[in-house]
Amino acid sequence: MSVNQYTPDRTESKYTKSASTFRQNVQRDLANEELRSNFAGAMDYLMDKRKASFPSNDELETLRDQCKLIKQRALVKLPHLLEQLETKLNENGIKVHWAETINDANEIIAQLIESKGGKNIVKGKSMVSEETALNDFLQARDMEILESDMGEYIVQLANEHPSHIIMPAIHQNKKQVADIFAEHIDDFEYTTDVDTLIGEGRRILRDKFSKADVGITGVNFAVAETGTLCLVENEGNGQMSSAVPDMHIAITGIEKVVEYLDDIPPLLSLLTRSATGQAITTYFNMISKPRQPGEKDGPEEVHLVLLDNGRSQAFADEELRQTLQCIRCGACMNHCPVYTRVGGHAYGTVYPGPIGKIISPHQLGLESTKDLPTASSLCGACGEVCPVKIPIPNILLRLRKESVKDTKGGEGELKGAGSNRKATEAAIWKAWSLLHRVPAMYKVSMWFATRFRGLMPSKLGAWTSVRTAPKLAPKTLHERVKARRK
Amino acid sequence: MSYKFTQQSNSARSVILQKLKKQVEGADYDKLPAETGFTYPEISFEDQFTHFVQLLRNNQAKVISTSETELMDQVISELKARDISSLLYGADSPYSQLIEQGINQSGEQVELQDYDYQLTDNKDKLFNHTPASITSSNWAIAETGTIVRWPSQNEPRTMSLVPPVHMIIVDANKLYCNFSSLVKDQNWKDNMPTNALLISGPSKTADIQQTLAFGAHGPKELIVFVMNSPTDINL
Repeated sequence: MSVNQYTPDRTESKYTKSASTFRQNVQRDLANEELRSNFAGAMDYLMDKRKASFPSNDELETLRDQCKLIKQRALVKLPHLLEQLETKLNENGIKVHWAETINDANEIIAQLIESKGGKNIVKGKSMVSEETALNDFLQARDMEILESDMGEYIVQLANEHPSHIIMPAIHQNKKQVADIFAEHIDDFEYTTDVDTLIGEGRRILRDKFSKADVGITGVNFAVAETGTLCLVENEGNGQMSSAVPDMHIAITGIEKVVEYLDDIPPLLSLLTRSATGQAITTYFNMISKPRQPGEKDGPEEVHLVLLDNGRSQAFADEELRQTLQCIRCGACMNHCPVYTRVGGHAYGTVYPGPIGKIISPHQLGLESTKDLPTASSLCGACGEVCPVKIPIPNILLRLRKESVKDTKGGEGELKGAGSNRKATEAAIWKAWSLLHRVPAMYKVSMWFATRFRGLMPSKLGAWTSVRTAPKLAPKTLHERVKARRK
Repeated sequence: MSYKFTQQSNSARSVILQKLKKQVEGADYDKLPAETGFTYPEISFEDQFTHFVQLLRNNQAKVISTSETELMDQVISELKARDISSLLYGADSPYSQLIEQGINQSGEQVELQDYDYQLTDNKDKLFNHTPASITSSNWAIAETGTIVRWPSQNEPRTMSLVPPVHMIIVDANKLYCNFSSLVKDQNWKDNMPTNALLISGPSKTADIQQTLAFGAHGPKELIVFVMNSPTDINL
């Protein structure tokens, strides 16, 4: 069965490159009508589902406030909670590993797998493992790593990236999925019937689950109080990956830790309802220990890899720190007019949409992501639906400022700050600022501007490609008011 | 484990923690704002139960009211309806005697399989020769239509995951209004098991064009047998 004809070519540099060609990506994807229709349909569906799952606005707003505060408390105590989590997990028999960079995280995982002599790996859905491009890393070491979430599996077969953090294959319609199956799966009888397509995926993946040596998953919440890793899912692939192989490796960002077990129920309720409008997902899986003596299944070894990759940079600034409140529900992208039109791939980053625009600069630096914060009409929808009340529009503005800042190159500056700064633009604003501070200069310049308004060009770059150029009045407002008073 | 790798992880640990601590040093935890949860209106037990059943049915679970005397007749009839002649159960589990007696007395050709093996060496058996399983459950949650299971030595976690048909027995007297009250009332924080599972239907996915399909990886069918049900649900 040739289900794994997948050539790794996804490297860190490719992501950097794609985010820096954001404008070209947008042109490319806007021209793709099928893609636009796939996204429009999916976003309408997800928005309706979310809305229906919050019949009481009072309840929704109370929950949002509560969960925002839960996450903010966890962040204020973050270093302490990470230590507590580690201690608890160790007591429970789960080993914790720390990684500053994506390469360190991949290296740790590869060595863990090698220590087991593992060759066949199944992976539940994990965006952090997308962030580290783990698949390519392991495949380069001759390990077979198979995505087991149905959406991720489709995306892997097609040698693509997820276009949405919750529904990775949302950019494909069922006919396109059928075409992908036909191309990559031997003896596949062509059909666009979704039940049959899922059945085909099930058949192949169940076989892989039963033969895998190692299972890799993400983590939705890590509870410091009890040393518990929580997984939210509908399909059962997360359970398959964490319960069937002899080794389970979980990977997550350092911001996923929460303090108490009691923090979980409100967060879980808000997560699933915001994401897909479900009261709860089919499965909620809480893992606290490896297989204990006398138990018959579950992994003998459980490991947790904690990844920084730029998160500590966001943490260092109180406004930007709010980015780390994110519980990865995807509601901001579902409600984003830009995301709905350009789709998830145009962003060129692992995390697309509004949340991606404020996370990616910390992971990749502002230089290659400087266009992302500008890809917003600042309509505010993302901030309004965010379950943990991240002020995404404010943070977008802040990142725009950071990207054009006059940097000193000192400590505490964001990676790539000032990379969007242009000398002419900076000079124009400097002059503008000066004019508005010195009344005499303002008067003289306005007099000249109104008298020589005929010299204003009718083509003003991108602005006039869809608009007519603005025209200055023949006289300044000051002059006209003065004339009326006489 | 290799020396270099452990050392690297240790040094990453101290760098990360140091960076974080620098930012929140001296933070006054007492000054954190109060977190207020939403006060849900009181709902009668009957209404909670009806809601529980309704949500499970919305999620394509089959829900059947049962009793100790009816259970095994109903189980066998569900098996026969699917042409299944083998059932995985856990010996020495809460309903095991009832299950054993029921099968023996029925005279039906149903083979009762005990989960008396280590999964590591028996994956083929569980994945390819186990069409159905039956397990007990610990609690249930009305708000979300959820069944809570703490897998045990006798009823391991893969019993409710791998077989295509999973039957689960729920005691209505163990129904909680919501997850929060269950966690608090049963003091989970002081005795978390190896694995705790919340199950709210058969395995499903909407990953292809938002079209719901059941039986993604786990059970295609979830059959819920409710003991002590306060209202008539067999309608």
